[in-house]
Amino acid sequence: MGLFQKISQGREFLEEILKILYYYRGRVIFSFAGVALGILSICIIITTIDGANKKAKDIFEALGPDSIMVWGIGERQRTARVRGSTLTLIDAEHLEKIEGIYDSVKTYYARRPTMKYKDRKWQSRIIGSTINYFESMSWEFQVGSPFNEDDYKNAKAVCVIGSKVYDELFLGEDAIGKVILADRLPITVVGVLKEKGGGTGGPQIDDRVIMPLTTVMGRVVNDRKYLSGVRLKTNRDVNGTVEDVRAVLRRNHGLPDSAEDDFTIRSSQDIMKFVTVISGQLLLFLGMASIVALVVSGFVLANLFYLTIQERRKDIGIRRAYGASKRGILLSFLFESVIITLLGGVAGILLSLALGGTFETLFEIPMLFSYKVVVFALMFSFVTGLLAGFRPALKASRIEPIEAIRG
Amino acid sequence: MISLRNIKKSYFIGERELPILKGIDLEIKNGEFIILMGVSGSGKTTLMNIVGLLDKQTEGEYKFMDVTINGLDDEKLAAMRNLHIGFVFQQFFLLPYLNAIENVLIPIVYSSKQIKHPREKAKALLGRFGLSERIHNKPSQLSGGEQQRVAIARALINEPDLILADEPTGALDSKTGGEIMDLFQMLNDEGKTVIVVTHDPKLASFGKRLIRIEDGTISEDITR
Repeated sequence: MGLFQKISQGREFLEEILKILYYYRGRVIFSFAGVALGILSICIIITTIDGANKKAKDIFEALGPDSIMVWGIGERQRTARVRGSTLTLIDAEHLEKIEGIYDSVKTYYARRPTMKYKDRKWQSRIIGSTINYFESMSWEFQVGSPFNEDDYKNAKAVCVIGSKVYDELFLGEDAIGKVILADRLPITVVGVLKEKGGGTGGPQIDDRVIMPLTTVMGRVVNDRKYLSGVRLKTNRDVNGTVEDVRAVLRRNHGLPDSAEDDFTIRSSQDIMKFVTVISGQLLLFLGMASIVALVVSGFVLANLFYLTIQERRKDIGIRRAYGASKRGILLSFLFESVIITLLGGVAGILLSLALGGTFETLFEIPMLFSYKVVVFALMFSFVTGLLAGFRPALKASRIEPIEAIRG
Repeated sequence: MISLRNIKKSYFIGERELPILKGIDLEIKNGEFIILMGVSGSGKTTLMNIVGLLDKQTEGEYKFMDVTINGLDDEKLAAMRNLHIGFVFQQFFLLPYLNAIENVLIPIVYSSKQIKHPREKAKALLGRFGLSERIHNKPSQLSGGEQQRVAIARALINEPDLILADEPTGALDSKTGGEIMDLFQMLNDEGKTVIVVTHDPKLASFGKRLIRIEDGTISEDITR
């Protein structure tokens, strides 16, 4: 026999429960708020973990699983924001000879000069790189093409601009063949990149001007020795290659065994690992918080409910006299508690949607909302309501109508 | 409609047996209006609870609407109360968070009977009892007599065969109490079976049949 046969008039039943909740709102609000907070943290956990995983996957895909990045600055200097590089052009040439390396993109991050076109100005980052930069970063062109072999060899003043730079300087005009001024150096635009947008590298990713490495080193910064970084691709075992890279650089830099690396190596696996560790810690911290919040609110709900039942003995007696069976009473009290927690759950979901943006900008963790979040959150709140409501509901159902009505 | 055969009811306090009903034989037919009178402790309320399927006898056979009640489980008893009996209590027992019309609708929530337009029906009942202006009032905004009339409307919403009223005038002044009794008379005239349980000798003048309970037995049974 279905339990729902005990309660035939669904609409009246629900209306009654909502009125009861409103009548006892002073107490209901505590359980409601507790559940809302618990569900809020569950939502944040799920969305941030999904977001972090997606970010990791994006980075992984953008870089390719076989990438190794080398920067000419040690871990300690990086955190201290010391400028200057230890990675030389000669280092890079040596690295390219390591077994398994089949692609190498050398980059030089120059300062941020003011770009001028007509009367418009825009400050953007200049990056010097090799011709394969675009292909290696799988970057597509709106118009134009990469600079060519000739440009590179002769250090010609040509550039490819990111979509943000294009929008700021050209406002939709045709840019190919136009000359922009970077401080006093006139540069000819040969290509405009497609927008990559937020996601992988933040909004700055489209705000860049890429020129031949030779031009940047020779004519923009006048530094003929050092590079900012090299990105290598290997068709060998990545970790093995990383060790070779480290060995080559330590030898070239003449580091004694006791010294720390004065450079940094990251493989795409490292980045993946880093994100996984972060999301693991988040899961642990927020997971505990949300479970504590849910358990506490469950107890609060159960206890307040238990107290209320004493107060509602007459109510229960009347319902029993008018045809509610024990199971009918059990069911209606369970419903009551589940409705409280479900409402709390919905509030938690809405809160997390509202706070999601803040959280994202505050901790720079992308959040990914999906139906999964809603399903999980509602499931958790449903179960909380069921567990918290069960004992009080059982007690309610055992109240005998004659006792309740008599006194 | 109601047939009681040698009904006994005892409570046990530890080892000691405390007999409340000591063998009640009673036949009640459709359409009767009975005043069940007795002092407190006489067993009249226990008898009413058994008749109203709220309590079970210790001994004896009870048939209600030709159904032998003895072995029925909680679900069946609840369903029978819902379909066949309308209760009215001394303290009205309206639920404080529901307004008049919603209180009247309580029985239908648990009913297998499908009433087509329950709200309209509840409204009509309240209108009949002179409460048209009061249907959206909460119990706290109603006088005692009004609350009891709402309670009677609630007892009638499922069209029961039997109305069981336990001291329905006990919390009301005598004028209002008289009006409530007149209302029961009117319902009886329309064919409802009514049993009013009371200790108040003033109510003896109402009804068609007076049954007096003394010390767990029927001491007097007069049909007028």
